[in-house]
Order: sequence, then structure tokens, then C-alpha cells
Amino acid sequence: MKMKTRKNLKVLLFLLPILLFAVVFVYYPFIRNIVNSFSLVNAKGEIRGFAGLENYRYTYGRKDFPQALKHTLLIAAINVPATLIITISLALLANKRRRLSPLYETLFTMPMSVSMSAACMIFKSMFSPSVGIINYVFGLKIGWFESKETALAACLILTIWMGIGFDFLLMLSALRGIPSHIIEATRVDGISPLRRIFRVQIPLISPTIFYVFCTNFVLAMMTSAPMIIIMGVSAESSATNTLMSMMYQSGFSSSDYGLAAVLSITAFVLTLGFTILSFVFERKRVHYQ
Amino acid sequence: MMRLKTKNAIKDTVVSIIAIAIGLIIIFPIIYCVCGAFKTESEFLTPNLLPGSFSYTKNFSDALRKGDLLRYIGNSFIVAFFGTLIRMVLSILAAYAFAYFDFRFKNVLFFLILGTMMIPGDVLLATNYLTISKLHMLNTYFACMVVSFVSASQMFMLRQRFMSVPRDMREAAQIDGYGDLSYLITILIPICRPVITTLFVHSFINLWNAYLWPLIVTASKPAMRTIMVGITKLNSWEDENYQLVLAGVCISLIPSMILFIIMRRNMRKGGMEGSLVG
Repeated sequence: MKMKTRKNLKVLLFLLPILLFAVVFVYYPFIRNIVNSFSLVNAKGEIRGFAGLENYRYTYGRKDFPQALKHTLLIAAINVPATLIITISLALLANKRRRLSPLYETLFTMPMSVSMSAACMIFKSMFSPSVGIINYVFGLKIGWFESKETALAACLILTIWMGIGFDFLLMLSALRGIPSHIIEATRVDGISPLRRIFRVQIPLISPTIFYVFCTNFVLAMMTSAPMIIIMGVSAESSATNTLMSMMYQSGFSSSDYGLAAVLSITAFVLTLGFTILSFVFERKRVHYQ
Repeated sequence: MMRLKTKNAIKDTVVSIIAIAIGLIIIFPIIYCVCGAFKTESEFLTPNLLPGSFSYTKNFSDALRKGDLLRYIGNSFIVAFFGTLIRMVLSILAAYAFAYFDFRFKNVLFFLILGTMMIPGDVLLATNYLTISKLHMLNTYFACMVVSFVSASQMFMLRQRFMSVPRDMREAAQIDGYGDLSYLITILIPICRPVITTLFVHSFINLWNAYLWPLIVTASKPAMRTIMVGITKLNSWEDENYQLVLAGVCISLIPSMILFIIMRRNMRKGGMEGSLVG
């Protein structure tokens, strides 16, 4: 009996630290978020009574909410397929090992070593209307960050660029993991390269594609840093808000924690919902060997 | 036969050249950043990509001094290093318990930890900020790293690795008088060094690159900013000063670039193990 309690104590000592932090900094705030969204919360974050759906009505009724929602979904809808197409194409291009492979593989993966805020500052400079190189190279005269559409386009290019490196690596290792006898067989059968890509290689790496799809989707739904860093916090900049940057701009700067909670939960539920949907779809389309 | 070979060689060369050209387009922002960092103020107004000379380093010294970047680099190192260290210790302990002990609620606790992966950190920003401010820990190093202490994916990878070590090893060690902790430290960790190093590097880069959370918890005390927050404060809409910003960005990229190159080398040697962890 004594042995047993000692053993249980030991298990507790090994597990307690991680459980403590998981509960305090993941599960508690998650539940608190849900509670806050249904409560009257003051500027110090204290609960001052039950509010029912008032926070939701207030948030969804705000003029900037539909915009933020639209931008979030738009970013996800463009970012995810664009990243998939770019990284699969790059991986197909780099698939065969050639003498210069290490060189261009390194070039393709390099964006992954750049942090979000560093990338934002670089792109802010590149897209600058006065000294930026983008306008110069393409002979444009666009004030990229002055109108909503072009500002969002610049942010989209930035987020897609950020994803290239790592996702390319995943696609490449998946492609190279296809048993060579399968590719040989398609050669013997005289199948055209295009057909081989779409009928053999892409279906065989579909588990990886699905993984990249999901992780990218979650990241895209949480996009906020480009809006915060590049556009700054101001009344005009709220035109390009996503759900998460709206949470930062309206929730934090005015200490409106009810609003912040509703926005977080909305983003979370949407992300989870779409992810579950894609898992349903996965059963039909993704092939596991 | 000979003709087919030359035809293939030509095709490979052409594809390689195309791939390198695409690669250069992809890393163009990085090239642009490095070149811009060496430009003088008047050079920056001209559309040339290359600076007059690569020996003009005033931007770097200005960024370090005026932008207080030296201090921010120190902050980032402390946060990334100790944050990673604590994260590794927690993950290793938990992974050991799940790999070797049998106890009640084992599965429940296991999924409780894995479940943290389902909740994106950004969703928790506001409430975590309130917790930290209630604990009076705003503007501390601890606040900057605390939300990264739990890494379920890391714990999972380590558990998988620990389970691939033969159980006989532990039994033999127990007969020799090793307790769990001494077995873990003197035998298991050295055996699993490659995985642990990879995870450490990966986690260091993640914490070094973190932006939103450090921004929020150090908002009221500029001296506690990390480098990634610091570089975004180097200019404003009124005073664009991009050459200074790009110099700051270059400085901030040095550690992750070095680790990236090391990682690429290891990957070519030893497959993708460990690189999948977020």
C-alpha cells in the first residue's frame, strides 16, 4: 500500500508541472472566454453579472464586424489553395534529385527562417508607395496601404510567402516517399507526365496535402500580425481588420473584454467547424496506403 | 542510348536553371532586405537594388543604439532560451511518465495534454493577459515565455522516442540501482540527444520569432520588449526610415538563419525526423 502511494506521488511529480500550465494557461482561459462572452465584464476583466447574448448582439451588430469576418474568410479562401498549388508545383519541380538540388531546395525553404514581424517590416518597405521596389519594378503608382483592397492583397502575398518554406519541405518529402516502383510502372505503361502527376502522384501524397490544408487553414483564420504591424492601430486601419486583429484593436485598446471574448470564440468555432467538415471530406478523398 | 543520356542531362540543366530562378524570386524579399540595410539614406530613394557598397554600416549601429536593439536582443535570448529550457523539462518529464508508468486516468490525462493542440493560442490572448496582469507579472521575462511552456506536440514526439528505447534497458538500470530520475538524466536523455536537440532548436526559433504575445505583455514598458517587437517600432508613418528598419530586421534574422542552415544540413543527413513539430 505504501509502495503504491509512493509510486502515485512520483507520477504526480512528473506530470504536475505540465498539467498545471496546461490548465492555467490553456483550459482556464478557454473556459473563461466562454463565460466572459455571456457576462458583463468591466475594464479590469472582472465579471459584473450575467449578460445573456448581449455581448454577441453588440459585437455582431457593430459596423466593422461583417468586414472583419469577410476579410478573415477571404484570406483563408485564397491563402490555402494558393499555398497548396505553389508548394505542390515547387515540390514536383524539385522532386528528382539533381546536382543542384541542395541549392534550390535551400532557396525554396528559406522563407521559413523569417519571422512574421520581420517579414511584415520587409514587405511594408517593399510595398511602400514612395521608395518601395514593387511599384518601381512593375511600373505601378499604387499607394498599396491607402486603399483597403490593395492593402489586403499585400497582406495576402505576405502570408502566402510565409507559408511556402515549411509546406514545400513537407510536400517534397511526401513526393520522395512514393515508392519508386510505382513511378517506374507509370513509365512502363507510357502514361503522360501530366496524367502521372494528377492521377498517381497527387493522390498518393493526399495525406500530406490534407495535413498542410488543415494547418494552413487554422493559421490563415488566425491572421492578425500583418494587419497590426503594417496598418498600425488607428481608426482608418480598422478597414482591413480580420477577426483576430479586430480583437486586438477594439478589444485590447479599449479594454472591452466582452467583445474580445466573443471575437475569439467566433474565430475558434469557425475554425473548428471548417476543420471538422474537412475531416468528413477527408474520408472520401484522401488515400492512405 | 547515348543520345537519351545527353537529352536527360540537358533537361536536368534546364529544370535546374528554372528552379534556381524561381528560388531567387522566392528569396527576393530577403535579398532586398540585406541590400537595403547597407544603403545610405539618399541611396534608398533611388530604385537600384544594390547599395553603393556593403561597407556602409551606419544603419546597423544606428538601429542598435537608437532603437535599443541590443537590449531587445538580450531580452529575446533570455525569453527564447529559458522558455525553451522549461518547455523541454516539462515535456520530458511528462513524456517519461506516459512512456514508462502505469497509473489511473493515464489516457484521460494524456488526451488532456494533447487537447491543448486543438486550441490556437491567439484565441486565448485576452484572458491570458488578464491572468498575467492579475498575478502582477506584466513586463517580466516570465510573462513573455509562460504561454509557451506547454507543447503537446513536443511531449508526444518525446514519448514516441522514449517508447522506442527497449524496456529492458530501464529494468537493467533499475537492477544496477538507478532510480527513475537518474535513469532519465544519465541514460535516456543522452540516448535521445538528436531528437531533443532538434526539438530544442525548433522551439528556440519559435520563441525567438514570437510577436503578438510579447507585444501585449510588454506594452507598458519598452525596455522589456523582445527583438521582434522592437524592429516594428523602428519607424512610423511620418518617419519612414526604411534603411534603419531593414538593418534591424537583418540583425533579428541572424540567429534563425544560422539555425536554419544547421537544420538544413542535419535534414540532408538524417531525414525529416523532428522537423514536423510546430
